[in-house]
Parts: sequence; C-alpha cells; structure tokens
Amino acid sequence: MSESSSRSAEENGYFLRAEGITKIYSDGTVALREATVELRPGEILGLLGENGAGKTTLTKILSGLLPPTKGHVVSPRGPVRFSSPREALDFGIGMVHQHFALVGTFTAVENVALSQERPLAPLQLAQTRAKIEELMEESGLRVPLDVPVEKLAVGEQQRVEILKVLSRDVDLLILDEPTSVLTPLEVDELFRFLRRLRDEGKAIVLITHKLKEVGSITDRVVVLRKGEVVGDVRTSAVTTEELAQLMVGKALETRAGRAVELSTDEIPAHAPQRHREERGPGVLHVENLSVAGDTKPVAVHDLTFDVYGGEIFGIAGVEGNGQTELVEALTGLRPALKGIATINGRNILGLDPRQIYKLGVAHIPEDRWVLGLVLPFTLAENAILGVHRWDEFRGPLSILRWRKINAHVRSLMERFEIQATGPSAPAKSLSGGNQQKLIVGRELAKDPAIVIASQPTRGLDVGAAQYIRDILVEMRDRGRAILLVSADLDEVLALSDRVAVMYEGKFMAVARPEELDREKVGLLMGGVSVGGKA
Amino acid sequence: MTAHEARSGGRLLRGAHRTLTGLHPVLESVLAAVLGLLVGALLMYIWGYDPWRAYWALFRGAYGGSYEIASSIARGVPLIFTALTFSICVRAGMFNIGAEGQMYVGAAAAVCVAYFKLPPGLHLLVGIAFAAIAGAIWSLGPALLKLTRGVNEVISTIMFNWISRFLVFYLVAYVLVDARQGQRTVQVPVSARFPILVRGTDLSYSVFLAVAFALFVYFLLWHTATGYEVRAAGLNPTAARYGGISINRTILLSFALGGVGAGLAGAATTMGLPPTYAIISGLPELMNLGFDGMAVAMMGRNHPIGILVAALFFGGLNAGGRVMQFYGSNPVPLEMVRVVMGAIVIAMAIPELVRVFPAIARSVRRLGGVFRRDRATEREGA
Repeated sequence: MSESSSRSAEENGYFLRAEGITKIYSDGTVALREATVELRPGEILGLLGENGAGKTTLTKILSGLLPPTKGHVVSPRGPVRFSSPREALDFGIGMVHQHFALVGTFTAVENVALSQERPLAPLQLAQTRAKIEELMEESGLRVPLDVPVEKLAVGEQQRVEILKVLSRDVDLLILDEPTSVLTPLEVDELFRFLRRLRDEGKAIVLITHKLKEVGSITDRVVVLRKGEVVGDVRTSAVTTEELAQLMVGKALETRAGRAVELSTDEIPAHAPQRHREERGPGVLHVENLSVAGDTKPVAVHDLTFDVYGGEIFGIAGVEGNGQTELVEALTGLRPALKGIATINGRNILGLDPRQIYKLGVAHIPEDRWVLGLVLPFTLAENAILGVHRWDEFRGPLSILRWRKINAHVRSLMERFEIQATGPSAPAKSLSGGNQQKLIVGRELAKDPAIVIASQPTRGLDVGAAQYIRDILVEMRDRGRAILLVSADLDEVLALSDRVAVMYEGKFMAVARPEELDREKVGLLMGGVSVGGKA
Repeated sequence: MTAHEARSGGRLLRGAHRTLTGLHPVLESVLAAVLGLLVGALLMYIWGYDPWRAYWALFRGAYGGSYEIASSIARGVPLIFTALTFSICVRAGMFNIGAEGQMYVGAAAAVCVAYFKLPPGLHLLVGIAFAAIAGAIWSLGPALLKLTRGVNEVISTIMFNWISRFLVFYLVAYVLVDARQGQRTVQVPVSARFPILVRGTDLSYSVFLAVAFALFVYFLLWHTATGYEVRAAGLNPTAARYGGISINRTILLSFALGGVGAGLAGAATTMGLPPTYAIISGLPELMNLGFDGMAVAMMGRNHPIGILVAALFFGGLNAGGRVMQFYGSNPVPLEMVRVVMGAIVIAMAIPELVRVFPAIARSVRRLGGVFRRDRATEREGA
C-alpha cells in the first residue's frame, strides 16, 4: 500500500510510549480506556477514528496539555510527565493544532520569536529570522516573513505553525487533522515535507479521519473507537476496507492477532422502515447549492437533494465536512454562494431566519449553548425564542403576553417531560437533556413542515437521546419532513429512511440504510468511493 | 504543604467565593456604597479631617429635611436619564459611554425654545421633544459607524463626546448667546420650564418625567417583544440571530433610545433646574452628568428600578457634599464626594473580582493532585 513497509524504523526503539492511558473528564465522559500506543522515530503514525474516538485527547496527553486519569507516558529513559506544553516542547514534542495558536497581527518571525521567548528575556528577532530562513531552506516550507499572519492563506498559516514547532528542534511532531484546511496541492507539499522529516528520523503522528491519507502517507496506523485502541497495524498490511471496518466498528482480526471486540448497535431499530411509496410530497428542494465555510472558500459543493414529507433524510459523515455550513445556509444563518433551495416551492436563500421559520421550518441547532438557548434567560424567555413575534404570544404594542407564554411553557414541560422548577427557572440551571428537550419542544410547537435537526442527541444521556429520537420518528410518522444531520453513525442508520454520506462538501452516496452496511459507510465517510448509486 | 492542606485551602477559597457571590445584587450594591464611604473616610482621616463630622454634615445636607431631600432628588433627576442611557445599551450588549455628549446636544436643543413663543405646557413639550430628538440623532453617529464600518462603540462615543462638547461650547459662545449676558445662552422662557414641585427648592416636575422614562424602559425591556429582542441580542447575539432577531435593529434601537434618555437629561437640567434655565459658558451645570450616570447605572445594576434608588443616593452625595464643604472649622472639600463616588464604582467591580476565586481554588486543587501523583509514583518506584 505504501512504499514505506521496507523502511526499517528501529523495530525495538521507541521515542515515547503511552501505557494503559485512561482519561475520564470531570463531567464523567470516558475519552480514553486503557490505550497503549508506541511512537517510533523515523515513522509516520496515523491516528484514525471517528469524532469523539479519543484521538485528540490522546495527543493532548502526549503533548502535556492534559494529565491522564490513569496510566503513564514513558520514554526509553523512564517515565515522563509534563505539566505544560512548554515542558513537552523542551522534551522534543511539538503539536500543531487544528486551530492555530498565532497572533494575527504579528508577522511569522514575531510569532516564532514569541513561542521561543522566556518571560522577561529580550526579543531576539534577528536570530529568529536567521533560524527560520535556515529552516525554510532545509524544509522547503516557504512563508512570507514580514506580513502579518492574518493576511496569509490558511495553508501558509499552518506552515508558520509547523515552523514554530520545528524551530524548537522537536523529535516528535503531532499534527491534528492538518489537511482539513488545505488545498490538494498544499496537501501534497505537506506530505512531501513530512516524509522528509521522517527520513531524518523524527517521529510523526498524524490525526486524521481520511482513509486515503492513511494509505498514502502513514507507515503504521492506530485506530481508536470510543476511547479504545481497536487496531494497531502496519499500513502496508491492512486494506482500506479493513480500516473502515475498524473505524466504524466490526470485528476484525488485527495483525497482532488480537480479536477486536465489537459493540453491536446500541440503538434498537426504530419504527419499521417504511416503504418509499408512503412518503409524501417534496418539502425541501436543494439544487446545485454551494456554501462557503469560515476557513474554506467552499464548504458545500454543488449539492442537490430533496427531502419529502414523511421521511427522515439522514446526513452521515465526519464533522467538518460541510454539514454545519449546509444547515446554516438552509436556516438563513449563512449566505449561499450559488444554487437553489426551496421549501414547498418557495425560495429560502437570502431570507433571514424569521422569514424561513414562517415557511414552516423548525431548526434544532447543533450547539444548544451557543445557538439554541440564551442561557441566562428563563425557560419562558427561551421557549419563545424565534416565535416571540407570533400573535399567540404578542399583543398590541408588541406587549408580551407573559401569562399565555407561561401556560405554553407549562404545557411544553408536560408534553416533553422537561424537568425544571418552573417557567421562571433560568435555562442554565437545567441539565443538558432538559435543555435539549426545551429546544425540541419549542421547535416542534411551531408545527413545522420540516424539522432540520443537527446533532440533536449530542452529549445527552441514553434516556434523553432515545426520547428525542422517538420524537423525530413520531414527527415523521405524522408526515413531516426531517433532515437529520448527525456524526453518530448508528443514529443516522437507525432513524433514516434515506441516508446521504457527506465528505468534503459532497454526498458520496445517497441510499436506503438497508442498502448500506457499516463497512461501506465507513469507506464513504473516509472519502473512498464504493460501487453503487451516488 | 501537603495535599490535604492544599485541598482545605481550596475549600476555604470556594467557601469565601460562595458567600460573596451568593449575595443578593441589592446587598452587593449596598456593600459597594459602604466600601466607598469607608475609603472616603480613610482618606479624610489621613488628610486630617474628621470623617464622622463630615459624613454627618453630608447626610444632613442630603436627607436631613424635606428641603434637603428635594434637593437631592433634583440632583438625581439628570442622573436617572443618563444612567438609563448606559443601561439600555448594556442590556443590548454594548458599552455606550456617549451619554455625556448626547446630553450636551440635548441641552442645546432645549434652549432653542427661547426663540419662539408657544402656550405654556405645549412650549415645554416641544422643548422636551427637541432635546430627545437631538440626543437620539447624536447617538446615531456611533450606532451607524458600528453597523456600517464595525467601529467599536467605546471609541466612537468618546470621540462624539468631544465633538459635542466643543460644538456646544461654540453654540453657547456664538449662536445661542444672550446679548445682554455674554457668559450664558438665552434663557428658557417661563412657558417652557418644568414647574417647581416643592416651593423654595429646585425640585421640579422633571422628576416625574424621569420616573416615567425609567418605568417606560422597564416595561419596554421586560414586557414587549422589542425589549425581549434587545435583551436576547445583548446576552447571546448568536442565539438571537438564530431566533430571527436582527442585531442591527436592536443596536440601532438601543442607541436611539439611549440618546433620547441623554437628551432628556439635557432638557431636565436646562428647563427644570433653577436658577439659570440656560447653559452657562463652560457647561458647569452639565459637566460629568453623563459619566456619573454610568456610576449610577452600575450601582443600580442596570435595572431601571435600581437606577431610581441609586440616583437618589448619588443625588444625595452631590447635594450633601455642597453642605459638607461649608461645615465646621475645617470643612472637607467637595472633591472628596467624587473620591467616594469613584471608590463606589471600583467596589462595584469587586463582585467580578470575586469570580477569580474558583480559578484559584482549581489551581490549588490541581497542585494537590500533582503532589498526590508524585507520592504515588514514588511508591511504585520503591
């Protein structure tokens, strides 16, 4: 698969070893379970996994940003423990995060100098510049040195980050999804450079969810699922299909001979999948829609699809592949670049959210704290967000009818089983599940033609998540159209009547869930086309 | 230090934090006032004044009798308006410190009623409308700069304050000047003055306008869909946008309404405060009313009802301070009152300071954790 199998990284020598790492966050989330990973010099290690598999947590522990709950990190010289990234850096571990840590108004030289300086030491810009120029010469990574970094392209900013880390003479370079913001050309350049670093004997860790990348650049790949290491294999000894299975979950014998234990779907199959004939008329029509992202010039590429009444149209995929931008464009929060989007035949592009709601759209947003709720507001105040101008709640002179609103909230609390002291309880006092039920209740009370639900069960306990899934299914059975976007593959497959797998702003395939097995979906999510209709 | 000590230290800090943040907002404001007065007393003591006698004089001068109380209320009236200007914008998520300039412009507009005759009452209403409109128009500058060019409202309102100040200096000196009394503008005619409410004092009917405006702001913010939008946008603009609220609209509205408030402060001072009924060269009657309003707003917790109470307190400090500076053989200068006001504003910020405690408690606990792990590794190593 890769030419690197012949490369002999000193088989026994390792640079760093994470032994039996368990990480439990203060909110009780188990991010890592007894994970053991070895990082070897002269090797590019791919860290593969879905959202929330624990990839980022593992690298944060390796680079000193987080302490492990259990287990330790050892080097050949003995156990190591870092209490800050600087200590890790002094040890020779550098990390390039997905979100850059650059001062936008500083130049590349100043940013690099900033990362070097000790408090109160004089700035040494001239030396830093000389060092960067030398590094650029060696590495072939070129950046303009005298322009504020905020004026640079994202790929160039990433190079500044890499130079920043390299200037500290690191032996281990960790890159968190480095290609997600790069153009294909920039990716090639980055990979060429990483191979060179590897040949110089550095250990490199590449966090990714793209299967193609794993094949083209890594020597070894560690697959994480739900916090556990489910595979640790040489890239040349594994097929893309096998990796996909490992990533999304299905038993597979690893080369280490260890049978990977696999959880079957926790989500019971839902109300029997209905036949396509039963679906209603088209509600949402999207044609050739393109949307820009915050960092990418185009996050959604030329999408065309329809969602019909009485069906759940699920969009699966690893987060960051354009799902957020698609939902924002359809709900008036983000302008579209081009294309058509209509609800019941009426254009929605260019309208503001309120106008779109009037056409019968309910939106369960992906981030309930930032988008869905005004946390300091009371339950009652949150229950009318977006419908506060409806006649039901607003009398003459724009006066709010608090009595009616409170009655409405009480009925929502009853219907949607929201546990709270009353309509005047602040929303921030509610548990996550109850907050989400409040949002769902508010949105469904609009009696919408279509529900756009984005990550509707994220972070919820099993009971609350199931409750919300039941409600979505009930809405479908009552003939509403549901657009479900979720990074939880099990959820999408269990609930949807049709599933689209999104990768880099495009649908890799649209199919009925029974036509898709997990292996296929895993491949599609990783950007590998499989035979079948698209 | 052992881990145990570190943990109990953290508990102590957390306990202190809970006690302080658990205070009712009203208590917090009272505490801030007490702290401010204590700081003032300390300074008086250091400089050889008798704080006890000074405060006694100040208290009697502020609330010692019906005349004094009326006078304190009269000084508080403009502060109610300017405090509301600040608070409306805080509720909308902005830091508008332009009340000062908007008030100058409002005062100048109010004085313009001297140039035409109207029946009493109507003449007053026209003057009020002039001031309100002028204040609102002046506030639109920073608002539009923010909406169209993204200019931070703190910067632009400071700039607009200076522009307004020198513009009104110019108007007072060259345009609105009284030909017979060069040091001031033409006087607001009797038909356009707020009638005196308590005979022999300078408390006029302007207090009713102030209370009415405060109640109006309260009703608007908490009982109308428009005010709901303003508050939602102020607390979480992203969620507000999701809720179909136009942030541009709430910004424009809160600035304009704030401008109305500041303009009315100008009207209340020129049309409702004896004896001058004019703007004096150098604006001594107006100067700092806008900034003091911000202190009142903070002490009143940006709530219209709280502002009414806080304005009475600050009005009392102003009125009582005038008595204090003439009291006894070694009178305390009026400036000491401003020291007390400043100390109160700083004390009001302490509850924010208190929020640092959980962070400290966390790091102490983490320290404890490191120690525990250290010993654990030692044991394993042994």
